Amino acid sequence: MSRESLQESLSAVMDNEADELELRRILAGSQSDAELRATWSRYQIARAAMHRELLEPRLDIAAGVSAALAEEAVPVRPKQTGWRLMGRVAVAASVTLAVLAGVRFFNQDSLEGTRIAQGQTAQPVLALPQVQGPAVLAGYSAAESGEAATVEPASPGWHEQRLPSYLRQHAQQASGADSALPYARAASLEDR
Amino acid sequence: MRLLPLFAVIGGLAVLPVQGAEPEAWLGRMAKADRQSFEGTFVYERNGSFTTHAVWHAGSASGASERLLQLDGPAQEVLRVGGLLKCMTGSFDSQAGDGQWPAWHLDSSRLSNYYDMRVLGRSRVAGRAATVLALIPRDQYRYAFELHLDDETALPLKSLLINEKGQLLERFQFVSLEVRNALGEAHLQPSEACKPVSASADEQVEQAWKATWLPPGFEFTRAVRRSKADPAVSVTRLLYGDGLTSFSVFLESLNGAVVDDARSQLGPTSVVSRRIVTGAGDMMVTVVGEIPMGTAERIALSMQETMQ
Repeated sequence: MSRESLQESLSAVMDNEADELELRRILAGSQSDAELRATWSRYQIARAAMHRELLEPRLDIAAGVSAALAEEAVPVRPKQTGWRLMGRVAVAASVTLAVLAGVRFFNQDSLEGTRIAQGQTAQPVLALPQVQGPAVLAGYSAAESGEAATVEPASPGWHEQRLPSYLRQHAQQASGADSALPYARAASLEDR
Repeated sequence: MRLLPLFAVIGGLAVLPVQGAEPEAWLGRMAKADRQSFEGTFVYERNGSFTTHAVWHAGSASGASERLLQLDGPAQEVLRVGGLLKCMTGSFDSQAGDGQWPAWHLDSSRLSNYYDMRVLGRSRVAGRAATVLALIPRDQYRYAFELHLDDETALPLKSLLINEKGQLLERFQFVSLEVRNALGEAHLQPSEACKPVSASADEQVEQAWKATWLPPGFEFTRAVRRSKADPAVSVTRLLYGDGLTSFSVFLESLNGAVVDDARSQLGPTSVVSRRIVTGAGDMMVTVVGEIPMGTAERIALSMQETMQ
């Protein structure tokens, strides 16, 4: 097989236009052919960079991630070594998957990461009464509020005791677009 | 430049520009919308909370009567008669305050100093034709409002609070609205759970503390003190407003307790607590309001005891 036709097949794979035969040829070739592997890898990086450029102006991934890291509780991860190895295998496998599935994998991963990071930073610093979360999520939110409480070292009860009352007093006498708005704000603060 | 994202959100509406519509005229109409009678249902949404409510409103020039009832979760209820608070359900009860929910005094000439007011176009809410009015702050110390006012009555059918990044902080929106010539007494009968509100829990006090910095346009309204059963534990509250939005400053003696400073954001409401050292022991100053966190922080930092 000529280098030229291999290159063509690789392009087709990258464009998601390769037929089954071409895909097999590339997968088989990449195991023995170092040059082909390197070219494939460059294509991957170039495409990843292109898509990253498209994503980043809209999503502040770095900020979200560092905020999430800052909030993360002290890690307790038993038997890390074994999993790390597994992780590497999984990453290698997922790279292949990414090739097969086009760019979708990369995009989804970044978006999901950001969403999770944003969700975490959106948690209030103090564990305040949250109104009637979905019943299904009750178990999860209990764990979350436990984590949030660790943010406060000294006299942890002081703010929790007073803030709900402060918030209510403020909401009930605050001005708003009409009387219904401050009422609704106050109502939204009530616990269950 | 920093207003661009805001316009992106507000401008995202499918609205057509309206020629010659005066925002001042709309604000004037809205200030009087309270005099009409109506009944309806609305939703309130903020980060972490979504609730549905019903309202029965009997308008009057002297002071409206109104019954509000939460439709999902706890049946929270409030009844005002002639502008005065008559009863509240249990969870509200202990917080009755001085029994007055504020009437909204809209002064468009004052507001125009701090907000850029414009009619953005037309929309439709609760099946009714509405006009979209935007109040965009001229500085970074307050949030933007987007109001959808009913063409017929000028009632705010939808009210959004938006921060400087163009993020939605709070949504108040009618789902249904029926305008009535008069509202029967039967609609303003509270349920048994609605407990009568009588004596005031707050007393008006002299202002012993003041903010040495306020965002432009915000003015001191009044100071009240709530004494609990234990007289040593009393909380003074200072109220401020710019005619559209408001914040409260709570002052409480720590009585020797070691408490850290704290910050919190609950939907549209920022909360900043800072410990302040005084001759008579440490005080905790807590600023609560629908203002950006940075504004609340700066106000908290500026609190000082007035010289006696």
